[in-house]
Amino acid sequence: MIKSVLLISRQAPWAGLGAAEALDIALAAGAFDLPLSILFMDDGVLQLLDKQQPQTLEQKDLSANLQALPLFGIEQLYVAQHCLAQRGLDHRTLAVAAEVLDDSQIQQLIRQYDYVMTL
Amino acid sequence: MAMKFVISVLSASHAPSTRRALRFAQATLAAGHEIVRVFFYQDGVLIASNNIVVAQDQQDIAKQWQTFIAEHKLDAVVCIAAALRRGVLDQAEAQRYQRDAVNLAGVYQLSGLGQLHDGLQQADRFISFGGE
Amino acid sequence: MTTLHILNASPVHASQLNSCLRVLSVEDAVVLCGEAVQALRIGSEAAKQLQACDRAYRLYALEEDVCARAIDLADLPVTLLDYPAFVALCVEYARVNSWT
Repeated sequence: MIKSVLLISRQAPWAGLGAAEALDIALAAGAFDLPLSILFMDDGVLQLLDKQQPQTLEQKDLSANLQALPLFGIEQLYVAQHCLAQRGLDHRTLAVAAEVLDDSQIQQLIRQYDYVMTL
Repeated sequence: MAMKFVISVLSASHAPSTRRALRFAQATLAAGHEIVRVFFYQDGVLIASNNIVVAQDQQDIAKQWQTFIAEHKLDAVVCIAAALRRGVLDQAEAQRYQRDAVNLAGVYQLSGLGQLHDGLQQADRFISFGGE
Repeated sequence: MTTLHILNASPVHASQLNSCLRVLSVEDAVVLCGEAVQALRIGSEAAKQLQACDRAYRLYALEEDVCARAIDLADLPVTLLDYPAFVALCVEYARVNSWT
């Protein structure tokens, strides 16, 4: 039986390699056709914001990787509502489609997966 | 009941979580469980460097990891992409990128994230150690 | 199917504790190790958060980390673990979520 993974991504996009290296785990799962979903939480929600300008930091734009996820079969993206609210972001459009979940929905989400990996 | 573990290490050799990972791995085998793979990712790839020098009065956790892996013939995989960007190279990669130093310790193998997922599909439990 | 959450960061410095307590399910367990054991200090805000969680969960801490830090334990039902007990706990729970 194939085992599923929930990847919880908590790092801000321009705070080091954490965010990109978490996404690489997702892309690798997709490349091997393995079931993996991503939940963006804490500063990880910042990866989804539109209108970011990473080129001013001479950084690669992560949104290309995010947009590639469905092409790799990673379609389920979730984002924690309370983390958006904490950062004053509820009203913002996200650059990538992600389902917004409240705390109790996240509790249920975690229980659906064989593995949970938090980066 | 004996279980199959995949253990992932995400922090460098001086981090408390890296020592914790080793003590956990030792206890896992002592309890009769199997470690399918130890996967080194993010700063954890730095543990695989041959060049770490630790003061005499301190614990050499990188060395202890090497000894542990060798003793139990564990499958210790270091993520190649993470290793390259942190300067940990084997012979092949040093040649490919024309770098002077080969510093991947012999008990480790460079490979891709696919090995992490392959391990997870075989295992019963996954635990990672990283951060502080 | 229950989850074992492992926290290792300072409750003041990082958001692991806050976030973990929000997404904890009933019957999950929390293991505090590294700087996360600071949450056991009597009178601390973090200890109060642990006490106030509205879902029943089991609380554990790595004994070596508690001992190292001269912690006066808050009134919490915490079980101290050595490494063999830590491994046994990981076997008992369906999944292990290490917060980093």
